[in-house]
Parts: sequence; structure tokens; C-alpha cells
Amino acid sequence: MKIASLAVALAVAAFPVVTHAQTGVKADEQVILKQVMTDKRAVYAQNLQLTEGESRAFWPIYDEYEGKAKKLNDEFLALVDDYAAKFGSMTDADATAMLKKKMQIEKDREALKQTYTKKVAKALPPVKALRYAQIETRLDNMIRREVYGLIPLAQ
Amino acid sequence: MKNLKTAFVATALFAIATPFAAQAQSTYDDTQQLIAQIQADKRAVVLEAMALDDAQVKAFTPIYDAYQAERKVLMQRGTDLINAYASNFGSMTDDAAKGLLKDWFKLKNDELALVQKYARKFDKVLPTTKVLRFVQIENKLNTLLSLPGIANIPLAK
Repeated sequence: MKIASLAVALAVAAFPVVTHAQTGVKADEQVILKQVMTDKRAVYAQNLQLTEGESRAFWPIYDEYEGKAKKLNDEFLALVDDYAAKFGSMTDADATAMLKKKMQIEKDREALKQTYTKKVAKALPPVKALRYAQIETRLDNMIRREVYGLIPLAQ
Repeated sequence: MKNLKTAFVATALFAIATPFAAQAQSTYDDTQQLIAQIQADKRAVVLEAMALDDAQVKAFTPIYDAYQAERKVLMQRGTDLINAYASNFGSMTDDAAKGLLKDWFKLKNDELALVQKYARKFDKVLPTTKVLRFVQIENKLNTLLSLPGIANIPLAK
């Protein structure tokens, strides 16, 4: 239930891109992303089944990770804004710059995920770190499916 | 038609992961057959969605087929990883968990690198807007395809 609401929340954040392609995404995306992060926290709390000691070790790492992930989410939303503004009249130079940026964000996101999963693995038993990585992957995929589904293909 | 094909591909990938739930090992031949089917259907979806003219199709398909061949190796590694996870499930040691995480990270990095490598190749023969479109289609399809499999894998314990 929580996971579904996360996907929907981020989908809502991206929705103006499609409906108002020329006006850009300026709505309540920061508020919505904050909501997504709050829900995400609840999903982890429910599924990781941490002891008190594990909780003390895990949550500071998690919060640091989410802070950095938010910067990448912001970069991605800015890119989507740019894409929406140029949609329908995109030049090859625009596409080259966007492709480069998109791939950089993807690379940074994966590197961040791996760095912090390693930190989690040092603070928690590796089996729980694996569980953490699985949850992160599930959430990430659900959110991506919704967001990608709303962004029209380049023309 | 496109939706039907996509649904089929997703179902086929789900079938690869299904033996996991039963704690069984996929046989190599079955997996190869399913991967081949997924790739054949995916090719048709990608070709349709790319909306290329005849000259672009001629330039695109040989590179895409080479991409698919490399992607197949990664898909097999993903399936092997799921099977390794299945055989450790319920009695997962710390070392096994560490090994699985390491292999998973390596696979994700290799997947990203593969798309990047082929985007550069496509960029030499197609307009960059089409390359961007290819990356978008790949992202959509791969996310869609991975969901049923991921959802079917129980969390580590």
C-alpha cells in the first residue's frame, strides 16, 4: 500500500510534464518528493525489522543517503523540465546534452546507492543490507515505471 | 499489439523468476529459451517504437542486434544471480549475502555501461534525438520487464 502510494506520488510530480509540456514543472514537486521520502522511511521501518541497536546505526546512514538522493532527484526533475520545454522542437545538440546529463545522473544514482549499501552493510548484518538493497530496488523500479510511463518519447 | 507483446515479454521474464519461489533451479536450456523469446519480442517492440525510416532501420538493426547479444549475457548473469539467491534463501550466511550484493552491483554497473556504449554507437549513425528515444524505450522496457521478477523474489532473511 505504502509502496503504491510512493509511485503514485512521484507520478503526480511528473504529471505536469506531459500535460503542460511547454510551461515546465514548477508545481509542488518538492512537497511531493518530501512526502515520498516520508513514506519510504515507513516502508523501511516496517520491512527491515531492526533491533534498537541496529536502528541507531541505520537511520543516520539512511538520512544521509536520502539527502544526497534528493539532490539527484532534483537534477532529474530539472532535466525533465528542460525536456518538456524543448519537446517537439528538440535539436540534436539539445538531445546530446540531455542524454549526457541523463546518463550522468543514472551513473551517480547507482554509485550513491552502492556506496550507501556498503555503509549499511558495515552497520547491519549483511543479510539485512541485502534486504535493504532489495527494498530500494523495488521502490526505485516502481517509481521509475510510473515516471517513465508519463514522459513521452523524443521526436 | 505493442501492449500485447510487452505483456508477453513481461510474462516470460516472470516465468524465469517463478522457479525461484518454488526454491528450484531454472535449467540452463529453459532459461536460454525464455531469454531468446523475450529478446525476439523486445526487438519487435523497439523497432516499432523507434519509428525509423528505411535507411535508419538499416543502420540501426545490426548495432541493435549486437547490443541484444551483449544484453543476453547480462540477462543470463541476472538469472544466475537469482538462482544463487534461491539456493541460499532461508540459510543465508553473511558471506553469501556479501557475495550476492557484490555480484548485483557489478551487474547494475555493467548494464549502465552497456547502454552508454551502444548509445555512442547509435549516435554515429542516427540523429541524437533518435538515440535519446532509444534510451527512453530501453529504460521503459527494462523497468517494466524487471518488475514482475523483482516482486516475485522474497526479501532476504
